[in-house]
Amino acid sequence: MRPSLMLLVFLGLLALTDGALFLHHHQQGIRSAAEADVMKITVAGLGLTDLSLATEARYTRHPAVTDLVVPVMDHPGAIEHFPSGSFWASPVSHP
Amino acid sequence: MISFARQLNLIDYSLSSLWRRRGKSLGVMVVFAGVIFLLASFQMTTRALTDAAADLLAYAPEITIQKMTAGRQESIPLEYQEKLSSIWGIRAITPRVWGYYFNEISGANYTILGLDPHSMPLGDQLGQAIDTGALPEAHEVVLGQGVNAEVAGGDKSIFSLFRPDLSLKAFALAGTFKAETNLLTYDTLFMNLDDARDLFAMAEDMATDLCVTVANPSEVSTIAKKIAALLPDTRVVTRQQVQKTYQAVFGWRSGFASICLLTALASFIIFAWDKASGLTPEERKEISVLKIIGWQTSDVLVLRFWEGVIVSLVSFVVGYTLAYIHVSFFEASLFRPILLGWSVLHPALRLRPSVELGETLLILCLTVVPYLAATVIPAWRAAIIPADSALN
Repeated sequence: MRPSLMLLVFLGLLALTDGALFLHHHQQGIRSAAEADVMKITVAGLGLTDLSLATEARYTRHPAVTDLVVPVMDHPGAIEHFPSGSFWASPVSHP
Repeated sequence: MISFARQLNLIDYSLSSLWRRRGKSLGVMVVFAGVIFLLASFQMTTRALTDAAADLLAYAPEITIQKMTAGRQESIPLEYQEKLSSIWGIRAITPRVWGYYFNEISGANYTILGLDPHSMPLGDQLGQAIDTGALPEAHEVVLGQGVNAEVAGGDKSIFSLFRPDLSLKAFALAGTFKAETNLLTYDTLFMNLDDARDLFAMAEDMATDLCVTVANPSEVSTIAKKIAALLPDTRVVTRQQVQKTYQAVFGWRSGFASICLLTALASFIIFAWDKASGLTPEERKEISVLKIIGWQTSDVLVLRFWEGVIVSLVSFVVGYTLAYIHVSFFEASLFRPILLGWSVLHPALRLRPSVELGETLLILCLTVVPYLAATVIPAWRAAIIPADSALN
């Protein structure tokens, strides 16, 4: 077998894998659409402003409505000590 | 014109050449695919989270009003609702009581939320988000899946929480939120307004914040300005600002990590340069023989080009595919410790990686192009070897 044909077979296998992943992605999309109504009701019904992702500190749990001074409340220029907090930008300033 | 058959022969020769140096070639490909895997995984994770935030928070309260005192958020008096009655266009104002409860045994932070859902948009349909049970009545609570597993032990129907004075307040379990809502409710205890006030020892005429529902969505910013003018000691947060916050948060996070990962990419390019520029005696001999039998400098350059394209493209596709599998099937497990920090409660990240042409091309340009560029000069140096240099 020519080396280029072997490469083609290998690329074909990769394409098949990616095709299967594409179908999985599509299925995930269908599932997300089916869950969208429940999520919409939960957010609107409970008046939620944030995702329940990083629950270690109040400003990472509710970055959208947190106290603006909280991340540096220990003293001015305090080093952030929560791991996920170091990856959060300051909240967008509000009027 | 360069014929297809000639190019195919050159690809064959490139592959044979790569196979002869399989240890070196495989090493480069593994490192290359690893760098692409890391870059693509992080990009897919942050993109999926950004998309989820944008989709979900499109239904966040149109306006949230918080009272500020000395630069800090405080409880807001309910009488502020009356001050807003003169603003035309406000459909409803719903007080919310919410805050945090630290479980000293497990070290987990819970979010306590109390409000009357019937005054919220779609609040009457909230039962659809509850897996078992119903909306909470007095002294009842609906738990997120994470809290249910911890507080109620999965099968308890009654449990107690501490008030600030350490007296106990008992709750009956009214139900649990559906697992689909974990990204929103995993750490949440939802109860009625009076119970939340009692738990936090908050005065009856106070709330944590006020949610404002507006009749005409296009008037939100105008009404927000009117509220800010009427209540100067408050912070008025609109839905648009909530969404912007999340775009900024994940944008920063993505940018910060990308800078770290670009360091890995730079290291890889140096590694590739080092590997590609160091011509071994065998390679010099091979090129000399090729030139003696009639190969031109341009042919050797094309040969090196195909080697670079094969190594970089195969590495790119393998790295990108593995990144998708990592994010989609393994919940981005490599990044979870960074994303979630010391959180004791964290929901399963059922992410739907977003694969967009623009972002794929960006990673392609950030990885494949620098690699080809890093190998082009070594390739040229290899190609201009005098025919007899290695043989003399």
